[in-house]
Amino acid sequence: MKFLGLVLKSASRSKRRTALTMMSVAVAVFLFGALRAILDGFDAVAAASSATRIVTIRSTSMIFSMPVSHTEVIRSTPGVTDVTWANWFGGIYKDPKNFFGQFAVDPESYLRMYPEIQLTPDERKAFLDDRTGCIVGDGIAKKYGFKVGDRMTLQVGIPTYGSRDFDFTIRGVYHAGGAAVDNQSMMFHWKYADERSTPQGQIGWYVSRVDNPDRAVQVAKTIDDKFANSPYETKTDTEQAFSAQFASMLGNLNLLLGSVALAVVITTLFVAGNTMAMSVRERTTEIAVMRTLGFPAITIFLLVVGEGLVVAVVGGTAGALLSRVIVNGEALGLTGGFIPAFGVSNANVAAGLALSALIGMLAALIPASTASRLKIVDALRRVA
Amino acid sequence: MALIELSGVTKSYKRDAIEIPVLDGVTISVDEGDFLGLMGPSGSGKSTLLNLLAGIDRPSRGTIRIGGTDISALSERALATWRARHIGFIFQLYNLIPVLTAFENVELPLLLTSLSKKQRRDHVMTALGIVGLGDREKHYPRQLSGGQEQRVAIARAIVTDPTLLLADEPTGDLDAKSAGEVLTLLQRLNQEYKKTIVMVTHDPHAAERASHLLHLEKGTLVEQTKVSA
Repeated sequence: MKFLGLVLKSASRSKRRTALTMMSVAVAVFLFGALRAILDGFDAVAAASSATRIVTIRSTSMIFSMPVSHTEVIRSTPGVTDVTWANWFGGIYKDPKNFFGQFAVDPESYLRMYPEIQLTPDERKAFLDDRTGCIVGDGIAKKYGFKVGDRMTLQVGIPTYGSRDFDFTIRGVYHAGGAAVDNQSMMFHWKYADERSTPQGQIGWYVSRVDNPDRAVQVAKTIDDKFANSPYETKTDTEQAFSAQFASMLGNLNLLLGSVALAVVITTLFVAGNTMAMSVRERTTEIAVMRTLGFPAITIFLLVVGEGLVVAVVGGTAGALLSRVIVNGEALGLTGGFIPAFGVSNANVAAGLALSALIGMLAALIPASTASRLKIVDALRRVA
Repeated sequence: MALIELSGVTKSYKRDAIEIPVLDGVTISVDEGDFLGLMGPSGSGKSTLLNLLAGIDRPSRGTIRIGGTDISALSERALATWRARHIGFIFQLYNLIPVLTAFENVELPLLLTSLSKKQRRDHVMTALGIVGLGDREKHYPRQLSGGQEQRVAIARAIVTDPTLLLADEPTGDLDAKSAGEVLTLLQRLNQEYKKTIVMVTHDPHAAERASHLLHLEKGTLVEQTKVSA
């Protein structure tokens, strides 16, 4: 502890340079936290997906729809115990920047299929009874100040739904009871959207419940076989695979985000390493003086490593705190509500701090080694 | 009683393939409590000799015994510990750490001891008091004059109460008045506090303050003089 003051004084020698190094570490840790939050969010969705739910989309892409006549064909498939469906609405709430998921669903079967959507019995009844009623997640309710009974208007975002605005009454604010459902979405009656659609009777995706999760893959294949060689061929997968596919629309996220994080960390390592090397080079005489006073080589080594550690960990702490405040606060709107429970976890904060400590130590390693192996007489002669 | 005993000390440096001799078989003995002045032209080997006495350089041949310890046989780590305990070094350019206050600079060698914070403070204030800078403990080197900086450097050298004080042209960078103050201080440390001092100097006025003088030329001891009081 008695050397801490010395380490801090050395670190504060060039305040601007130290601050810039700290900031570069802070940015690296911030990005690490944010990127990990996205990947963890997708993992959480996949992990929380039900093993008994399977999802059917058009084989070409989920952006193409299927006829509502598929419903009864799917329902009659052996092993299927329930079916529901939904459409992506893509409306605009006041401003295109106010983005959140809006789904036209079959209310009764949808709420049955997703018990994770938690409503009070009164809200549930009010929603089912009102053709222009909708429910919103408590996340967007908080964000936009929605309350039960409020009126809400969405402009049409996809021409399929005509050109007239859709008016809704908020009948419930749901709480997401699991990571498979986010709290950032709005759901309303499919019939309300369908009656203004051209063409009518179109479904975005079906969700079916199977009686035995072990047979889910087999049931999925049976459904797809039924529509094989039809104009509307399907692709059915488990909910987990569907979630993964949804995420993979953005490419190989793990590789992409992992590469970005690695590049940032390595760059920061070089920046911090260069700073430490400059700092030590400037202090060659001082280090020689300290060695003359009796400071052992190992103490000099530890002092330089300690300095790197302090600079990096202070920067890392700032980055980790920033990621908690900004990412968890959704100030950046990074996922638009697509990833439920999105945020920088305590584990990732700890990992970020460990990463900053690692950066600090690695960056200081070579300068510390150089400083500790300094030949005192040579170093003193260089200046004298 | 001899505190320093050098026997046949030779030192040479290698520059590329060429071996450059600096000291050639120097044998001297310095008594405890002595104030020895080392004189000689540039390149005569006096600073090299001082570095060897400080244990920051090693002889090519010969032995150096200080206080009964053959320091040329010590490992790097043991030598560092020995320096911390037995050597106080005063540089020509003071070499204070610019980001540390006078107090912190003087405290530096004490960080290697097991003294408590309070004990360290007492030692530092005593040392600063001896050099007459007790009221400058919070000043940074840039806030001190050259003479004051050198006095802080002397306080740093004496704070551990070392066996031997080594000064490498301590007045070489000072004006006459400050140089006089520093020399008076060194003389006081020798006479009042019984410190053994070895001082390298070019300056005849500085040399007058020593009790003995050694003249080196081309790495060889050419003359040994006793200075009259």
